Formats: sequence, C-alpha cells, structure tokens
Amino acid sequence: MNLHVLRARAEIIRLMRAWFFNQGFVEMHTPRLVSIPGQEPHLEPFTTEVVEASGAKHPAVLITSPEYAMKRLLAEGMERIYDLGPCYRNNEPWDGTHDPEFLMVEWYRRDADVNDLMDDTENMILSVAREFRVEPEALTRSWRRVTVEEAFREYLDVELSPLLEDRAKLAELAVSLNQTVTDDDSWDDIFFKIFLTHIEPKLGVEQPTFLYKYPASMAALARRSKDDPRYADRVELYIGGLELANGFAELSDPVEQRERFIEERVLRAKLGKQIWPLDERFLSALPAMGNAAGIAFGVDRLVMLLTNSKSINDVVPFSARERFQPEEEKQS
Amino acid sequence: MSSPSEIKKGIVVLQNGDPWVVTEFQHINPGKGAAFVRTRIKNLKSGRTLEQTFKMSETIEVVDVEYRNMQYLFHDATGYTFMDSGTYEQFTMSDDNVGAQGQYLSESLEVTLTMYEGQPIAIQLPRKMNFKIVETMPAVKGDTAGGNVTKEAKVDAGFIVHVPIFLKEGEMIVVNTDTGDYVERA
Repeated sequence: MNLHVLRARAEIIRLMRAWFFNQGFVEMHTPRLVSIPGQEPHLEPFTTEVVEASGAKHPAVLITSPEYAMKRLLAEGMERIYDLGPCYRNNEPWDGTHDPEFLMVEWYRRDADVNDLMDDTENMILSVAREFRVEPEALTRSWRRVTVEEAFREYLDVELSPLLEDRAKLAELAVSLNQTVTDDDSWDDIFFKIFLTHIEPKLGVEQPTFLYKYPASMAALARRSKDDPRYADRVELYIGGLELANGFAELSDPVEQRERFIEERVLRAKLGKQIWPLDERFLSALPAMGNAAGIAFGVDRLVMLLTNSKSINDVVPFSARERFQPEEEKQS
Repeated sequence: MSSPSEIKKGIVVLQNGDPWVVTEFQHINPGKGAAFVRTRIKNLKSGRTLEQTFKMSETIEVVDVEYRNMQYLFHDATGYTFMDSGTYEQFTMSDDNVGAQGQYLSESLEVTLTMYEGQPIAIQLPRKMNFKIVETMPAVKGDTAGGNVTKEAKVDAGFIVHVPIFLKEGEMIVVNTDTGDYVERA
C-alpha cells in the first residue's frame, strides 16, 4: 500500500468516469449480490446466503463480473452503459496482478462491434493518461491491432486456420515447441499451451496491443466473425506485460447461448465444481439486446500502469495479502 | 503423480526421464479459458532451459528433493560455497545456477538449499531481508504530481531497488527476495 498511489488512483477513477460521461455513457450500479453466478468453467464465485427476516433462505453469490445484469439493461432499452465497481473471484493466484476483490469497469454499446471497443479503450486510456499528466513509456508508442491468426504468423511462422479443426496437427506443433500434450488435452488446451508460452508473453511489450478474432471455441459469449465463422469477435488488450481488458461482440442468439452454457456446465461438473441452473431471465432477454459489444477492463491494472507500480498490492488500500495472510508470510 | 498446482520455485519435475528444476512460474487463468501454470524449467543434467505451460488438471511427476539448512560462506571463481551447519560439509553452486539470487547473499547468511542426488540445485532465501540504502537522489519537490512516485536506490549489497521518493541514504529497508521489490522501512 502506498498513499501517493492511492491519491493517484482516486484521480484516475475520477478521470475515467469523466471520459464515460463525455462519451454519453450512463453509469449503472448493478447488484454485487446475485442469485445465479456466471457459468464460466474456470471462475470461482464466492458463495453466501441471503436470509430474510422471516427466516427464508436464498443461496447467493458475489458477481465475478456485472455482465448478465448489463446485458439485461441493454435489452430493457439502455444504449451506452458502464458499471465501475468491485468484482469478486475466488481461487485466484495472489501474484501481483490478481486480488480476489478487484475493481472492474465494464461498458456496453448497442449496435457496435470489436472495432468500436478497441477505439473506446484506446481513447479512454489516452485521455485519462493525458489529463493525469503522465506518459508511461508503454504509451508513447503507436498502438497495434493484430488478430490471433496474425500473431501465430508473426511469432511462430505458423498458419493457424488450417489447424482450427485438426487437433493432431496442433498437437504436433505443440510438441515441436517443447510442450507436453496429453490425451485429455482438448484443442483449446493445446492452443493455450502454445499461446501462453510462445505468444502471450510477447504481446504489448513493445507497443500497446489489441489481440482480436479468437478461435470460436474460446469465446463463449461472443458473436462469430462475419467474414470467417471459425473465429469469434473477442478482443484482449495487452500493455507493458499486463492484460488490461477482455471484450466481445456479444452473442444475442439465445439458442446458441443456451448450448454454450450447457457445455460449460458439463465442463464444470467434469472438473468436480459446483453447478447451478441456467439464468433463464438472462437468456430470455438476449434477443432484445441487439448487436451489442461490451468489454471488461481492470481498473487496478490501469492504476498500476499509470503510477508505475509493480504490484496490485501497491494500488489498493488493504490487499488480500494484508488482510488474510499471517504477518510473517506477508509480501509487498 | 502430482498436480501442476504444486509447482513452485525449486521443485524438480521428471520429464522424458530427465529431472528439470522449476526456476520461474506464473499461474494464468486466460479469461474464459482453463487454468494453466506457465513455467521456466531447467534441465539438471544438460543445463538447458525451456518455457513450458502446464494445464492445472494434468498430472506431473514431482521428484523428491531434500532440503538442508546451510550457511553461505564465500564466492570465488568456482561459484558460491555453502556449509551444512550440522555436518560442516561444504557445497558449491556455480554462478549460473545461483543466478540473480547471488546479489542477496552475504557472509554467514542462513539459507535452505534444495538438494537433488546429493547436489544443491536451488536456494531458498529468507523472503524478506534488510538492506541499507547507500546511494540515492534526494527527493525533489513536485515529483509526486505525475504519479511517478519511486526512484532508484543502491543498497549496501550493491544492487538497485525502486523505493518511494521520501527515503534517504543511510535508511534501512526491507526487500522481498522473490520479486526484488521494496516492501517497507526496516
């Protein structure tokens, strides 16, 4: 914890809200405490219980993201909205970029695509940095937008598209890059072993970099790309070794969404995790949402970038480490 | 068989019959994807290093290693020499094997060495160590305005740490030996 940084953090958040206001976004305060969590197989919500005065009990969870509520608000007729507030994820590594309670801003636009999300994100960061009167070295270089396919070409000299439905060929590539492949590994798993080892560490190191157009299986809540349905319109932003944002052109087809939720729930069960019902209110709201796009953005990480802080523990008042670890094990 | 969730610095995994020590690791949960551990591992026989990513749900073979408390003695052309405080046996690790951790070693420091087949392969330092600032610029008024709130400081052991601008030469600070980061005033 560092008081200078906490003052800077307050100013950065004020400037972010000002940017959203100036762009015509309305701030939504969606609930933190909800009855049904997201289905993401690898996110762990905190569970609790809501008890009425009468004694009636309802299982409840803290949100891992405000996504479902935000999409329902779009379906209700909102056009440009953002939610800036804490989100909660259990079982996260406490490694300097994660805290189980973190500050996220998510924003959504109707009738938009990933290009709009990339424009928004770039404009917002540059505007906040300019008003805050800092220019971290990472922001002095021009921004890049590369597709996953282009990244494979650039960093591995490999054509990804022919491998999209060929697990054996992808496994061959992984083994040639010194990765282990087991029979249990799905196409996605092998993809990630290659991507996380040989591509992701290089993204955003030289220039702020948007990576977009992911293989369709890797984007459970995204629309398929118009020009190539084997890919989906998902985007991530990397700056100076930090992953700052993850966005989607949002899937609004309730049938496909239901199928993907069921697949995810099966995977949760297979991993021995708790499962819960599908969010029917969310599914029935989807068609009214239109062609929306939305992106989740880590505010703590932007504060780290703009204050040149190495750890999330420096940019929040009392990090999980400080709150939950015994005195002798605490780290900065 | 073990889970990649047990991976940490200094553990040894067996792959294709060779022992590899984990020198760096990072847990990654790529958005909506599965959970992984990205590692840098070093072959204990050939010295070759690899970057490899494991899926949390796969199994790995972790090799038994022994941990022994040792005292650091000295550094010379052969590397860093340690002594087992119980048996007085001495062991030397090469500069390459010690790597950046060498900067924290000072005479008679108590450390834990990871031993594999009788040889030291990794050092566990105290997680927090105290050092004295021997060289740093004085704070300049206005430095805090842009949020640029750290400066470089050289400590008595000879390495550079980024510290808050209000610290002065002669002050004692606590450094995290895992990350090399400033923690607090000692």
